[in-house]
Amino acid sequence: MTPLPMTVISGYLGAGKTTLINQLLAEDHGLKLMILVNDFGAINIDAELLASRDEDTIALTNGCVCCTMGADLFLALGDALDRFPRPDHLIVEASGVADPARIANAALAEPDMRYAGIVTVVDGPAFPALREDPLIGPQVAQQITRADLVWVSKQPSGEPLPEVGDLTAAPVLSNQSAITLLDLVAKDPPTSTTAPTPHAAHIAWSASGHIAATGHALRAALDARPKGLFRIKGFVTDSNAETWQVQVVGQQIDIRPCAAMAKPMLVGIGLAALVRQEEIDAWWATASGAIKV
Amino acid sequence: MSEIRVFEAKQILTMDPTVPEATHVAVRDGRILAVGDARCADEWGAVTHDTSLADTVLMPGLVEGHAHMMAGAIWDYVYCGYHDRIDPEGTLWDGLSSLEAVIDRLAKIEATLPEGAPLIGWGLDPIFLPGDRLGRVHLDTVSSTRPIAILFSNFHLMCVNSAALELAGYSQSTNVEGVVKGADGAPTGELQEMAAMFPIMRRLGIDFRALSQKESAIRSYAQVATRAGVTTVTDLFSQLEDEDLDVMLAVSGEDAFPLRIVPALAASGDPKALADRALALKARSTSKVRLGAVKLMTDGSIQGWTARVKWPGYVGGQPNGIWNMAPEQIKSTCAGLHAAGVQMHIHVNGDEASEVVIDALSDAMRSASWPDHGHVLQHGQMMDDAQFRRCAELGISVNLFANHLWYFGDQHVALTIGADRANRMDAVRAALDAGLTVGIHSDAPVTPMGPLFTAWCAVNRQTMSGKTLGEAQSITVPEALYAITLGAAQTLKLDDEIGSITVGKRADFAVLGANPLDTPPSALRDVPVLGTVFGGHPNLL
Repeated sequence: MTPLPMTVISGYLGAGKTTLINQLLAEDHGLKLMILVNDFGAINIDAELLASRDEDTIALTNGCVCCTMGADLFLALGDALDRFPRPDHLIVEASGVADPARIANAALAEPDMRYAGIVTVVDGPAFPALREDPLIGPQVAQQITRADLVWVSKQPSGEPLPEVGDLTAAPVLSNQSAITLLDLVAKDPPTSTTAPTPHAAHIAWSASGHIAATGHALRAALDARPKGLFRIKGFVTDSNAETWQVQVVGQQIDIRPCAAMAKPMLVGIGLAALVRQEEIDAWWATASGAIKV
Repeated sequence: MSEIRVFEAKQILTMDPTVPEATHVAVRDGRILAVGDARCADEWGAVTHDTSLADTVLMPGLVEGHAHMMAGAIWDYVYCGYHDRIDPEGTLWDGLSSLEAVIDRLAKIEATLPEGAPLIGWGLDPIFLPGDRLGRVHLDTVSSTRPIAILFSNFHLMCVNSAALELAGYSQSTNVEGVVKGADGAPTGELQEMAAMFPIMRRLGIDFRALSQKESAIRSYAQVATRAGVTTVTDLFSQLEDEDLDVMLAVSGEDAFPLRIVPALAASGDPKALADRALALKARSTSKVRLGAVKLMTDGSIQGWTARVKWPGYVGGQPNGIWNMAPEQIKSTCAGLHAAGVQMHIHVNGDEASEVVIDALSDAMRSASWPDHGHVLQHGQMMDDAQFRRCAELGISVNLFANHLWYFGDQHVALTIGADRANRMDAVRAALDAGLTVGIHSDAPVTPMGPLFTAWCAVNRQTMSGKTLGEAQSITVPEALYAITLGAAQTLKLDDEIGSITVGKRADFAVLGANPLDTPPSALRDVPVLGTVFGGHPNLL
């Protein structure tokens, strides 16, 4: 079975996690999402989208489902994995004080799952004071440190984004459609053969032919990529002709052995606002040289 | 007319100042009808004399005010801990003081398991084992084919063998936080925190919820309690799903089930919805399952450096701990539940956590009056005189973690908060002097359930190395006996029914082999527990 990709939505109380989740449930993205939330309190479903609802589950006519997770998150993850048919993508709302990496690591550890990013939602106007709070500031800052993508909510237009550069190198987005988010974390990057014209906000990239590398060199090469190239997936082969699967999401680079043979190829998607095609090409020109075996 | 049964005992410690000691107690309809001598109930009609307990000493059934249901069913797994421990069936499992002893025990059990079944252990604490840290290489000598997983005593870590690593797909190329690797780049077998343990738990069927909810877990819990002389026990932090509650009500409803359970609902989410749920649960209470309270988790643990502590912090310079609920969430939850009339048991280990909670309760009380709220600070390990005084003013009770003094006291001096604050940890003396309602507890299965042991800890304040930790905070034996009976009952708002041998209360007794008041304080933990009487029915071990 295809591994279930999991994205964790983190952020302090009132940051706007539920608003983002409401968008994910309502927008027309074509994915069957399963979303685990702490409670249904502020989950808001349009009547025409609602298929059924009970104490723990809201089913939508677009195939998405939203469930409460109770106090045992890992039990809920197990239930999600046992669900048939498996959803296309799992989204977990972390509690307001949770360290999202402690949840997202499960997707790296579990062979039946795939890591699909930590998105930390930040209330733009409230953040500067929150960060200085002696009781909770360090935990809020840590959520940003762990992020693959920072999603600024409630940002008044024209105001500068909150300064988080000292906490993370992750891209900072604000006031975007949730579809942008799913294009980055949930959907496969378009390959050269299937690619429609990329969304104007996105930039696509692919490399094929002889990509033979593994281990530290490959990891270092991927780590050095322009940060606007958010996601990369594909296969490479090593000097023993073994195949390795590559999954890059934000700060997370996962390279693991792959039993099946696959044609070496990498595809990626980035944010046009943060990176230009020439920068990616320049990076790959250097990197691909460095990792050749 | 129901039968009147008059139990004779060598001595009866009633914990009731009107008749502090007696030799006979009369029971009718499961309740205490009279206390005194052989003729104490004659005025009520014909009596049956029962001499089956004549050689024993009776106390009010002991009350464990902070424990978890898992303390029973965890014995489905093999005990691998350092301290001697008795299982629910009464078998003594020797503490294991070396790696070889751990491997030896596992090998013996392994030989008895059916093919295909995993071998799962619990209670390992490497801090006490000299030499190498347990790893897959050691466990592989037990079996190279059967998956093996050994949970550590804190339940945050485990160690597995190569067969289990393979099941989870962990190898040299795994690059996951919490999958510990050795100098050779291969996983050592140690897995840290839930994310790394998750693939193993899923594949070996280790399910913490089932350990707390299934029928056998409830029955084991009653056995653990009876062995400790406990007739009323808490299950603090329970999910209380409807189907789980149905099971608990059915099992506990059996006449022969000798235990009263006080579960507290795990707090999460919106305070209004939480309060509604707690009140709905309260309406389902029976005489043996008492629902309606809520448990809040605020900070972590001191020995894990995750408790929120005030200045000067941890002696090793570790960063301050973590909040499991944000302070503003603690405030809104306290306010919401207090206003709705829901009693709260609030986990606070570090002194910053207890301070935030006292502030939150003080605010809650300013906006809604409920004088007999009965809120309890649980653990309260670093609370000082000033915090106790504020609790007294606000009517807050405390349930202090006396067992920590013995189990972790030395570590607290050396590694966590240093001697000055360790000497006033779990300050039962100060809490009593402030006039508070005080319970003391085991937090089983974190430490073994045994209120007489817990009382011994509060009296002697001795650590495992034999040091006395802050003699000034010691209490007397009678005070300690109060804390494991009436005091604990008061924290559960059940002192009108249990906690002393008083006419009208339930006929719940601890059956002991000696009188704790005639025992040297240093030997209090050795007073034999022979069983309990629950609702007038003896359950001897």
